[in-house]
Amino acid sequence: MNPIQVLIESFRSMAANRLRTALTMLGIVIGIASVVLLLALGDSMQRFIGKQLQMLGTNMVYIMPGGDRTAAQRAREGKVAVLTRGDAEALNALPSLTGAAPALQGSFKVSAGNENLSSTVLGVTPPMFTIRNWKVDQGTLFGEADVRAGARLAVIGQKVADQFFYRADPLGRYLRIENVSFQVIGVLAGEGRQPDGTDLSEQIVVPITAASAHLVKSPFPQNVHYINAQGRPNVAMTDAIEDMKEVLRDRHRIRVDDPDDFRIQNLSEIADTANKISAGVALLLGLIGAISLLVGGIGIMNIMLVSVTERTREIGIRMAIGARPNAVLLQFLAEAVVICLAGGLVGIAIAAGGAALITTFADFEVYLTLSGMLIACGFATAVGMFFGFYPARRASRLLPVDCLRYE
Amino acid sequence: MTGPLIDIRGVTKTYLSGSVETPVLHGVDMTVERGDFVSIMGASGSGKSTLMNILGCLDQASGGTYLLDGVDTRSLGRPQLADIRNRTIGFVFQSFNLIKRMSVAENVALPLIYGGVGRGKAHARAMAELERVGLGALGQRTPSQLSGGQQQRVAIARALATDPPLLLADEPTGNLDTQTSDDIMHSFQQLNRERGITIVLVTHEADVAAYSRRLVRLKDGRVLYDGPAAEGLRQFASVQIGIAP
Repeated sequence: MNPIQVLIESFRSMAANRLRTALTMLGIVIGIASVVLLLALGDSMQRFIGKQLQMLGTNMVYIMPGGDRTAAQRAREGKVAVLTRGDAEALNALPSLTGAAPALQGSFKVSAGNENLSSTVLGVTPPMFTIRNWKVDQGTLFGEADVRAGARLAVIGQKVADQFFYRADPLGRYLRIENVSFQVIGVLAGEGRQPDGTDLSEQIVVPITAASAHLVKSPFPQNVHYINAQGRPNVAMTDAIEDMKEVLRDRHRIRVDDPDDFRIQNLSEIADTANKISAGVALLLGLIGAISLLVGGIGIMNIMLVSVTERTREIGIRMAIGARPNAVLLQFLAEAVVICLAGGLVGIAIAAGGAALITTFADFEVYLTLSGMLIACGFATAVGMFFGFYPARRASRLLPVDCLRYE
Repeated sequence: MTGPLIDIRGVTKTYLSGSVETPVLHGVDMTVERGDFVSIMGASGSGKSTLMNILGCLDQASGGTYLLDGVDTRSLGRPQLADIRNRTIGFVFQSFNLIKRMSVAENVALPLIYGGVGRGKAHARAMAELERVGLGALGQRTPSQLSGGQQQRVAIARALATDPPLLLADEPTGNLDTQTSDDIMHSFQQLNRERGITIVLVTHEADVAAYSRRLVRLKDGRVLYDGPAAEGLRQFASVQIGIAP
């Protein structure tokens, strides 16, 4: 009996019991969908993190005010932990760093013409451009002199430019941020999420002095929200972090036994955390997948046993007209595998839908890989073989005379 | 080949249910020459169906020897027995035993496909065989769309698809009315005469057995009569009425 004939017979018997076949498939569908989605998610997550790190550089750190203790704890001790522009300048001078730059960040009302939006505004100094690898598509970035002068200049992201100026040239035009005019001098190149959750193309970057004076309006104009620093490529990050700690502890006059009043967050740590979370998600999906495949497989075995019993007479007829035991075994095994493979294909389709949904709504690209789909098909086949074998063997071992007598 | 097509010697069959042994056949001897047309009769429980199953290699004897076409069937494994059923024996059953999900033509082609014939060729031969039994136009129907007589004709076409020398029929007219029974028995007679097919059939109807050349009567697992059908049927009729021959 040739393979095509075996397949035709499988499809025919599946078609004879459509609802039952569909229900039997369900477990496999869910199992394969989660396995495929898990492989895709793991893959995309890794790609995403890799891209982030590439964009930011693995040797970049975030320095935040406040140590491991909470603000309430520090307040009780009568200390306020802050970082200042002076801290950033001191760090910028460290030989183990390529640079350090302070940042003020906030969401402010931005308007131009009739457009009125709330947007993230960053106040920075020029070293930030090199640390974060920001470049302009059009115009220029601002310089040290502009920072010193507190110039009301703005470098804006592509989406901001589109929102406020449509297709017109934004260079030289004015944006009103909290009712203060800022002249647009450049448009940032590229887009994508940053570790702080903002999109580069939705950002407005101004000199930190201007942000402090006109936007944040803090009574302490020297204070900053955080500092970004980047270690030199040839220096071990741990050494660079030690240097930074020394400078900051010195400047903050922290006694030897007292804890830091700042926190240095290594980006590779953030990446590690993200990796752990994605591994957790993957594990959960994998577990769901494995359990559904197991339950689905048992369902298949169950239904195949029912099918063998129901078709006992048919088995007898086939044997009477010359079907060898192996032909009967092959037929039932093929049926189990075909059900599983069909379920696997539906599962892959559902996973593809899921991936598309995630990509659309979560702003996070997930797409299925060929290897993932092949692995899924392999899994489905294996489940069919494994759970279909026992019923198929049982069918093949029946005696023709008993089958023909069966009512 | 020269020897008889069927040669059974001292065949016994004992069924085991739990530890209880139920003997059904107590040493049956019988030979069937090529081209013969034999009816096996007997009351229910006489062992005629059991004998038929053994002849058809659907079941194996507990003792004795069975040479089919010169081959000792007791030495064969299940795959070889399947091949014998495929090539040497054609079956016709009381309840037709067609596969309902398949078309008539596919049913007839199935033994060919199990025998390793390609799909196209198998289909062509199935159609030719259906033509022979006068159902060439109904190949695409399913068995349930046919009458009982038509279904039995399909079963005969299927039995003959691989061109076997032996046709075994177990109560082939049991589910048919008298008119259709006669038609079917006529076809059997024709097959026997024109294609030289050896036919062994089990029946409990004297009218059916009358079509055959030879009669074997079983009683309690033993051969009671083996001889010309006409003679055997006359004896049987006399016994029935209670007149000594």
